[in-house]
Amino acid sequence: MMRVASVGPPLLGGVLLLIGWGALAAVLRGGHLIAGPAEVAGWITANPGLLGRALGKTLTNATLGFLVGNLVAMALAGVAMIWPRLLNLISGLALVVFCLPLIATGPILRVLMGPGDGPQIVLAALAVYYTTLIPLLTGLRATPAVWLDLVHSYGRGRWSELIHVRARTALPYLFAGLQIAAPAAFLGAMVGEFTGAEQGMGVLTIRFMRALDVPALWAIAVAAAAVSMVVYGAIGAVARMVLHDRPPVILSPPRGKPASGLSRLSQPALLIAAVLVLWWAGMALPGMNPFFAKSPQDVLAALTTAPQAAATRDTLWTALTETAVFLLPGYVAGLMLGAGLAIALVLVPNLSTLVMPIAVALRSVPIVTTAPLIVLFLGRGALGTISLVAAMVFFPTLVACLHGMRQAPGQILDVFHIYAAGRLRQMVHIRVPAMLPAFFAAARMSVPAAILAVTVVEWLTTGRGLGSLMALSASVSDYNMLWAAVAVVTTISALCYAGVAVIERRILSVYAPEQVRP
Amino acid sequence: MAEIQGCARIECTGLGKSFPGGLRAVAPLDVTFQPGATTALVGPSGCGKSTLLRLIAGLEDPSEGKVLIDDLPPSRQTALGAISVAFQDPSLLPWLTVRANVALARKLARQSPDPTLVDELIGLVGLSGSEKTRPAALSGGMRQRAAIARALATQPRILLLDEPFGAVDELTRRQLARDLPPLWQSRGTTTLLVTHSIHEAVTLADSILVLSPRPARIVADIAVPLPHPRDAHGADFRALVTRTSKALAQGDADNAPMAAQ
Repeated sequence: MMRVASVGPPLLGGVLLLIGWGALAAVLRGGHLIAGPAEVAGWITANPGLLGRALGKTLTNATLGFLVGNLVAMALAGVAMIWPRLLNLISGLALVVFCLPLIATGPILRVLMGPGDGPQIVLAALAVYYTTLIPLLTGLRATPAVWLDLVHSYGRGRWSELIHVRARTALPYLFAGLQIAAPAAFLGAMVGEFTGAEQGMGVLTIRFMRALDVPALWAIAVAAAAVSMVVYGAIGAVARMVLHDRPPVILSPPRGKPASGLSRLSQPALLIAAVLVLWWAGMALPGMNPFFAKSPQDVLAALTTAPQAAATRDTLWTALTETAVFLLPGYVAGLMLGAGLAIALVLVPNLSTLVMPIAVALRSVPIVTTAPLIVLFLGRGALGTISLVAAMVFFPTLVACLHGMRQAPGQILDVFHIYAAGRLRQMVHIRVPAMLPAFFAAARMSVPAAILAVTVVEWLTTGRGLGSLMALSASVSDYNMLWAAVAVVTTISALCYAGVAVIERRILSVYAPEQVRP
Repeated sequence: MAEIQGCARIECTGLGKSFPGGLRAVAPLDVTFQPGATTALVGPSGCGKSTLLRLIAGLEDPSEGKVLIDDLPPSRQTALGAISVAFQDPSLLPWLTVRANVALARKLARQSPDPTLVDELIGLVGLSGSEKTRPAALSGGMRQRAAIARALATQPRILLLDEPFGAVDELTRRQLARDLPPLWQSRGTTTLLVTHSIHEAVTLADSILVLSPRPARIVADIAVPLPHPRDAHGADFRALVTRTSKALAQGDADNAPMAAQ
């Protein structure tokens, strides 16, 4: 019974999705926009070797990146548990690396590592390690104090805490992170291939986009989505076998000890210093060619004292404003649509059993790899780009908000039931406030994702904004401009993340004070 | 009670604890817990009984004064595996079976595995047949009994029980009160029992320390010179219950003017 109940709705949802896709393709036949299921299947059966080789290559790189990124994340999380003082620095550095624009790190890695699979693997690792580190840190710290007391009462320290208690309490969170990491690794590997590989799904995407081969583009996107969904589902299945339960959805990041007075200022200062030192030290490594390996002082000079500094600043500023015009509406629309649909689904629960499995499945699709399709469909103008950014933000927000609303305290809901208060009043008074923590966690985590989406579209299609500027700078070897763009995008991304976190903290202090307390 | 050779002696000297924000949980206390004896700590809710227990277990650092167990600080004794605590919350690890939870204590205390002892203790707390059950499938009282078995699994020299029978039903509570004390008494374990129940204190303890409302001071130290097992209907038993009850009320009254200030 349980199995039928849990398999039925996703199957029905999948069939409906397929029918809708086919119908849309039939309506828009001849417009060179959509390839229907039959066309896609036809292309795949006609080109099994080409697709198979590309998929094998990308999967291999994504898997290697997945392993490396997750191992690094686990090691860092372990270090943060053994030396808790390092927690804020580790999560801060992790955020900065997560905010690096893959579009720019791709070409830089290509120059540093040369041809081959290195950049794809590194980008896949970079794409996954934050999505694993944050839930893992949350899980390692989601340990009831009394379990730790038990360990301490036998005179054991942090290592025993980690081995006997924390590692196990973190497992559900680790699986949640690994699930999200699977499509992220695929995305990272494909973005790496966009930046000049010889083989792989990303290379095919670029080739067929130039040739406007619609069935081939759709076939690649469908194959990428299908593989991601299968891996996502497989990790979920392993999690259910190991945990006897579903992994948690919410991925709000942990906080270290609360900062006070001087340390409130010194922690960001320490982080900035650490970033600059690591950057400088990386560029000073032997074998780094100063032609492309720019250090912090090079970038500062390019933006301030160099002869063309004013022109560089103007170019960056223009690109920034062009990007903001797409980014902000897309980001806000994604958040609103995600939260709005979540509210609608709770008000009409029957709809939820149908839509939820589709939403969770689509969350596992590496959205950026479908960028050419969305732009094909909605055009190279504002609408296509904004839609892609919105889609990138929409799915995590929807899933997080639904999860948040389910956390509404049952006893308070019981009080509302006693007074026969309807769904709408429950929604306004209990469920929406209960949703807020998850909503803001999603809003914060979506900042770098939205920036990744907008820069990829700008680079692949629109030819404007920061994404295009970074690609152009890489292709003409203007490494001063490329590094300056990386620094600006990373800084803005991290500042926006911190900005959302400040708003989040103020709202949570009213609606969920237990989450703000240390 | 005569001192048993090799039993742990717990000495608190000027021991006090304040929390950030000025909350004073324990007033400076001077008290010595007799080696091998069972001492009940009785006092109103929130008076600092549990904090005192945590100070002795080395889970909190004192704000003033010190705790010495056989002339060593608690942290040294915990490192030797000498102390066991049964917490108010059973704090069983949900992913381990009852047997693995009980055995975990020996692992944490770096003691060799002793499956026979583990199963014996599980039987003693009435959980035979539930060895392979996970905590989620147990009732609140069963979980507390598993936690007591775990606390006994290391055969500790010092046993700290923080309201261990809170969620146990009345019948089982009586049975445990009859079966458990011999376990630690025969081994000369120095036992501290935090409880709300005067009846339980008189049933189990060799002496009762009555504490005042927060910050905890000692209002009375009442000896319980009754043989085990104790007859709750006996005149001596009832007299001790009355005496403890009066001391508790007295402590409350003493503190009332302070609270009003």
